Amino acid sequence: MNLLDVRNLSIELLTNNKPILAVDKVSLTIKEGEVRGLVGESGSGKSLLAQAIMGVLDEKWHVDADRFHWRGNDLMRLSAEERKSIISNDVAMIFQEPMACLDPTATIGEQLEEAVDQQQFEGFFWKKRQQRKLEAINLLHKVGIKNHIQCLKSYPHQLTEALCQRVMIAMALAKKPLLLIADEPTAAMESTNQGQIFRLLASLNQLKNMSILLISHDLENVTHWTNTITVMYSGQFVEAGTTDQIFKQPFHPYTRALIDSSPTANIHIPTKSRLMTLPGSIPVLQHLPIGCRLGPRCPRAQRECVNSPKAKNHQGHQVSCHFSLKGSY
Amino acid sequence: MLIFSLRRLNLFLFTIILLTLLSFSLSFLFPGNQLVNISGQVNATDEQLAIIGESYNQGGSLISQYFAYLSHILSGDMGLSMSSQTPIFNEILIHLPATIELTLVALIIAMAFGIPLGFIAAIKHRSKVDDTVLTISMLGYSIPVFWLGLLVILIFSIQLGWFPSSGQISLLFEIEHVTGLLLIDIMLSDDPFKWQAFQNALAHLVLPAVVVALAPATIFIRLARTAMMQVLESHYIKAASAKGLSFRQIIYRHAIRNAMVNVIRDVGLQFANLVTLAMVTEVIFSWPGIGRWLIESIYQRDFTAIQGGLLVLSSYIFIVHILTDFIYAGLNPIARGKKYGS
Repeated sequence: MNLLDVRNLSIELLTNNKPILAVDKVSLTIKEGEVRGLVGESGSGKSLLAQAIMGVLDEKWHVDADRFHWRGNDLMRLSAEERKSIISNDVAMIFQEPMACLDPTATIGEQLEEAVDQQQFEGFFWKKRQQRKLEAINLLHKVGIKNHIQCLKSYPHQLTEALCQRVMIAMALAKKPLLLIADEPTAAMESTNQGQIFRLLASLNQLKNMSILLISHDLENVTHWTNTITVMYSGQFVEAGTTDQIFKQPFHPYTRALIDSSPTANIHIPTKSRLMTLPGSIPVLQHLPIGCRLGPRCPRAQRECVNSPKAKNHQGHQVSCHFSLKGSY
Repeated sequence: MLIFSLRRLNLFLFTIILLTLLSFSLSFLFPGNQLVNISGQVNATDEQLAIIGESYNQGGSLISQYFAYLSHILSGDMGLSMSSQTPIFNEILIHLPATIELTLVALIIAMAFGIPLGFIAAIKHRSKVDDTVLTISMLGYSIPVFWLGLLVILIFSIQLGWFPSSGQISLLFEIEHVTGLLLIDIMLSDDPFKWQAFQNALAHLVLPAVVVALAPATIFIRLARTAMMQVLESHYIKAASAKGLSFRQIIYRHAIRNAMVNVIRDVGLQFANLVTLAMVTEVIFSWPGIGRWLIESIYQRDFTAIQGGLLVLSSYIFIVHILTDFIYAGLNPIARGKKYGS
């Protein structure tokens, strides 16, 4: 069963002139218990999409979608506040730069207790306080922090980035979410810490059947930890499928280029040779090309590419390209 | 926290040393005999001057003279006033508390109105409320304090007659001088009419305090507005919103404290400005404070009084500055652990 089903979600940046379409009709489905990767270069609208799902974008942005279903309920019919209250009950999000996401003037304990759901407790307020404290300690144990006494009374700046990210995950777990959106959870972290965080996320996925939307530009980690992958480029949907499909037989020229540019996926290439790259760089928001936004950089671009391609489905492997590589395998 | 306090104390000590150096060098820079300038003994005979010169170590080097001056100040002897021949220290004890009272009340008024207004403007960013608050703050900041003082006296004292126009309290009441802070002295006294006296003193305080508070309040509005807007843009507010907290909870639990941290840091800086405004206002409202006394001394070329008043007034500003630093450290855990005092 689909947990989250988003069809043709667009996000516009409202400016003084005409609005800029930052995310252009992206679709995303997440099944129960799966780990889905969301991949793309920096500036391709991954974080924006995640924040739009959470409903935490401010009024500069305008979000629109053809379909926004959460566990079968149509959320587009509800008002923004109702949507946000339903989503924030079942979906939690962790961000990049965890230290910046914790209030610098409050202790970890205060912030953790604040995230704990009030309704599960009974009794008078002093009993509730005790229960809330216990729950906070429990949460810290769940994410593998054993020294809870010291951690609870520390301020964010006294902890390392990896510890802060664990605290963020603990806060996310407080609501017992069905879906965890992890927005580059290990950016700017050492590889040992990265491994710890990913293992923690994987164990939560397996033990608690929690779905995870893992946003990253690090292909190596994404292949290792995900079941399915969605690729985005410059705010447009590129390709989606299982991790195997995407990495063994990418249908889209962009995905092909992405995989060719990764050293670990190309162990067979000779040493000191150049990796394949696409010419140019990702377009800025003010100068987006019409049609398929990869057009100017694409090796297979033809005249038709000035019209946006429609997503085609090949047995669960979706691709949005006029001249897909499907025939070449 | 201990190291933080020690650093502040250290800073205080060195600033005081610099201030005394300045006021000591002023006695050389003012025209006339340096010994007369520093002691204020205008009518002394040559023998008396010789004795005073002995006590200020006139024969020794400049450094030993400075230390002699320091020991005089530490024992509470700042010389005599050149115009009235009364000890400066006593004059300051009489006048300083009135200024402390006026400036502290003005600071409280400025903070109590400025900071919440700034927060509201930031929360309702780009709306009519924001524009109105900004306009008011622009207007308030542009009005010169001496003109505002006169205008306020004209309207509220003379035309409407709501508040008295000058002085600290009506002459009908006789309050014993204990702490010097009039409002506290009234509360301490056992006068049967002490509530009337209190009301009367408050009525005298309202106009000058409001006049002094206006310009700093407008600065606090701008500071609070920018601080709050910065905080609302930050990642932890977004994260708290993703956690499922309502907007009200986010504002009360996270945004206000973090924005206050940034505002409090600048309050100390604004206080010097506020004391300058208070000096002008004291003249307009005949407030018996140290500012008016200092300005009169400047008119009368009372060099000893200028040196002493300068020293005391700048120490007072500096003490308030350090106190706000402590409040800042109390609110902001990052500042407490900072290795180097900044």
